[in-house]
Amino acid sequence: MIRLPDLLAGSLIAAGPGYMPERASSVAEGVDHVFGFLFWLSAFFLAIIVGFTIVFVIRYRARPSRPGPEPSPDHSTRLEIFWSAIPLALVFVIFALSTKVYFAMVESEPGATPQRVQVTGRKWSWWFDHQGGKGSKELHVVAGKPVELVLASTDVIHSLYVPEFRLKQDAVPGRFTKMVFTPTVAGTYPVLCTEYCGTNHSTMTSVVVVHPDQGSFDAWAAEGKGTEETLLQVGVRVFEEKGCSACHSVDGSEGVGPSLKGIWGREEQMVGGAAVRVDENYIRESIVKPGAKIRAGFEDMMPPVPLDDREIQGIVAYVQSLKEGP
Amino acid sequence: MSTAPNAAANPGGGNYLTHGSTLRSWLLTVDHKRIGIMYLALIVFSLFLGGVFAMVVRFHLWNPSGGLVSNDAYNKMFTLHGAVMIFLFVIPGIPSALGNFVVPLMVGAKDVAFPRVNLLSFWLFVGGAVLFVATLVVGGIDTGWTLYPPYSLESSRGLGILLALTGVFLAGFSSILTGVNFIATIHKMRAPGQGWFDLPLFLWALYATGIIQIFATPVLGITVALGFLERIFHLGIFMPEYGGDPVLFQHFFWFYSHPAVYIMILPAMGIVSEVVAVFSRKPIFGYKFIAMSSIAIALIGFLVWGHHMFVSGQSKWANVIFSFLTLLVAIPSAIKTFNWLATMYKGHIVLKTPMLYVLSFFAIFGVGGLTGLFLGALATDIPLHDTYFVVAHFHFVMVGAVMIAFLAGLFYWWPKMTGRMYDERLGVASAILVFLGFNVTFIPQFMAGTLGMPRRYATYAEQFQGMNRVSTVGAVMLAAGLVVALWAFVKSIRSGAPAPANPWGGATLEWATSSPPPHDNFAVAPRGSPPYDYTGLRRESDEAGWVPVGEEGAR
Repeated sequence: MIRLPDLLAGSLIAAGPGYMPERASSVAEGVDHVFGFLFWLSAFFLAIIVGFTIVFVIRYRARPSRPGPEPSPDHSTRLEIFWSAIPLALVFVIFALSTKVYFAMVESEPGATPQRVQVTGRKWSWWFDHQGGKGSKELHVVAGKPVELVLASTDVIHSLYVPEFRLKQDAVPGRFTKMVFTPTVAGTYPVLCTEYCGTNHSTMTSVVVVHPDQGSFDAWAAEGKGTEETLLQVGVRVFEEKGCSACHSVDGSEGVGPSLKGIWGREEQMVGGAAVRVDENYIRESIVKPGAKIRAGFEDMMPPVPLDDREIQGIVAYVQSLKEGP
Repeated sequence: MSTAPNAAANPGGGNYLTHGSTLRSWLLTVDHKRIGIMYLALIVFSLFLGGVFAMVVRFHLWNPSGGLVSNDAYNKMFTLHGAVMIFLFVIPGIPSALGNFVVPLMVGAKDVAFPRVNLLSFWLFVGGAVLFVATLVVGGIDTGWTLYPPYSLESSRGLGILLALTGVFLAGFSSILTGVNFIATIHKMRAPGQGWFDLPLFLWALYATGIIQIFATPVLGITVALGFLERIFHLGIFMPEYGGDPVLFQHFFWFYSHPAVYIMILPAMGIVSEVVAVFSRKPIFGYKFIAMSSIAIALIGFLVWGHHMFVSGQSKWANVIFSFLTLLVAIPSAIKTFNWLATMYKGHIVLKTPMLYVLSFFAIFGVGGLTGLFLGALATDIPLHDTYFVVAHFHFVMVGAVMIAFLAGLFYWWPKMTGRMYDERLGVASAILVFLGFNVTFIPQFMAGTLGMPRRYATYAEQFQGMNRVSTVGAVMLAAGLVVALWAFVKSIRSGAPAPANPWGGATLEWATSSPPPHDNFAVAPRGSPPYDYTGLRRESDEAGWVPVGEEGAR
């Protein structure tokens, strides 16, 4: 099914390496199947439209031997139902096929603990803080290991796109967004920006290096280790500098504010009854708009703390590191 | 048939074009026909301006490294191309220029319901257009026509963005007033005996368009006004640095701008319905289904805006719902297409220029609509979003379908508007060139997008060079087709044969008055009649056109 678009495209246009980019993530094949289905469905309906147009024009065109139209009905409820019901049924089929693949594109595999990478978009480059502390202009991952990118932007909206993964996610200033994937084929693939961001939008590129095994990744991660401050070190430093520890303990003892120990990923009860999962967006909000959500049993008394994006990412990394147990 | 008294009562006498010749009699006219003509002039100029920007874009992309202009200049070019084409050509094109001219004629009225509001609408549009030109004069803007903050509202940005936002605001109000006028006219001013289901389908389409103009365009006005205030007073609505949310802008913007696609395409579909019936010499097939599918598209169109934000970080369940609603638009679109095809069945198909444009509409709208499925379905939209696949898709809908229908309508109503025929050979040549040029331009862009070439790129990877070059060659062909069309119109004004009242044999009421119509439209107020019943008409000659049976030789 998937080879057919290749053939057709090959005959339509000689340029380019083929119809679709290489497949290098666990979801690429599913996406291509939906694409192939839509392609042939569209080709079929286009053939019907163009075919009937051509046949009718040839058969019924005005010419001396054809002085006028032939009598024919001007409506048919049965036909209308026929050509409404078929598209409706196809809409359900397309929706079902596509949505099933979509869920695989946005959810990590159940039970997997993905490698988290903090991604920062800025005019006009990407920055990747890998788990374990290594920061780089390139994204490094390991074939077969699930990855979770947490995207942020320091200026305008950017969008991270890897055609070979069939995945794309906006990086929006003022919040964190997520993209999950499992790379499948070792190699180096382009990372592009697909949300217009100004002068050098088209050269805001990087690469994702998919290592064949963990050893290869570890060797890369060890290069130059300790020369730059890791996100976790940023978090620990900011936590002290800003005086956060005056109210928030890191050992589980309750102070004026909730302790940060073990809260990462937990559902916490808020004043008003809502339950909120502690994630990067909750932590960001709690720092820049502390009054927005108040933990049950505490008071709304924290002042907003103006941190930049990297400092917030650091605090997030610190809170994560305080999670109890594995 | 009331054709004869009207056509005969005005033999070579005064018409709306000769009714006053001072500049003031044009600029301050409340005659819907003159307002339509003035709109037409501005809209054709906008098409030219937007086309020049497009050619700069295409020639810049001849080489992967760009090179014709700087990145910043390129970014301004595609921004202005999009903004001018959308706000000053595609949205107002059919309703304001052609609609203004024919709506009152089609209901047998002397004018629209609110002639002065119509003039106000025109001048608001002029104001918007002037502000766009002023934007250009102060250095242009490079934000993309979508004006997404934070980029568009960054404090480093100058006067240009404020002028552009104000221009959009004014053009929007012009559009709202046109919608109000058409809805009131269709409700209150129909000819005696003209029931709702005696309305030409062009009016059903404009009625559906009016609903969207009235309910969606105010949201655009509010959005650009908030953007304006955010830029100056830092209110904290859209900009994260002041505590705002940039994705909120996207919701507001697309709550208008997706329905706006239907503001563009519905009137185009209306023209197709008129032309396909007249040139097949057969009643339109499935009248009520075509009429109601226009209304259905207008209503569903309000519920699909979220498909522009599938990768913005929007909740996945919102994505799933928007995906389903988006796919539903396929059904009324399919109904229309099949009914048009069925209209040609056993017809007597006359291949004049308007019909050729409509035949190319079928293929191009087919591709435009079907590729919409790829972008409504989540699995394929994620990789294709913001690539050239999207660029090609919306050009198939907004240029291929809408501009081609606009040209079909312009050739179709040209004899009525000017009282002169155009050169058929030039018309046919333009239709063929536009169709070929269009496809050569945009089919390679589908390929590039599928391979992952992002849009709004001033430079691109080597692998896309071939596709971009083919696309540029196509753009030249397309431009040549438009020049031939313009030549046909200029030649018609200079030396075209006088047009009969009814050159195509149409049964809608605009063909029941002389070409061009008198100032008051009809010498004798017409009665409503079935809009697609051609049995009462007979073709007399090229010069006399079609006349009611029993009144042959009256001229």
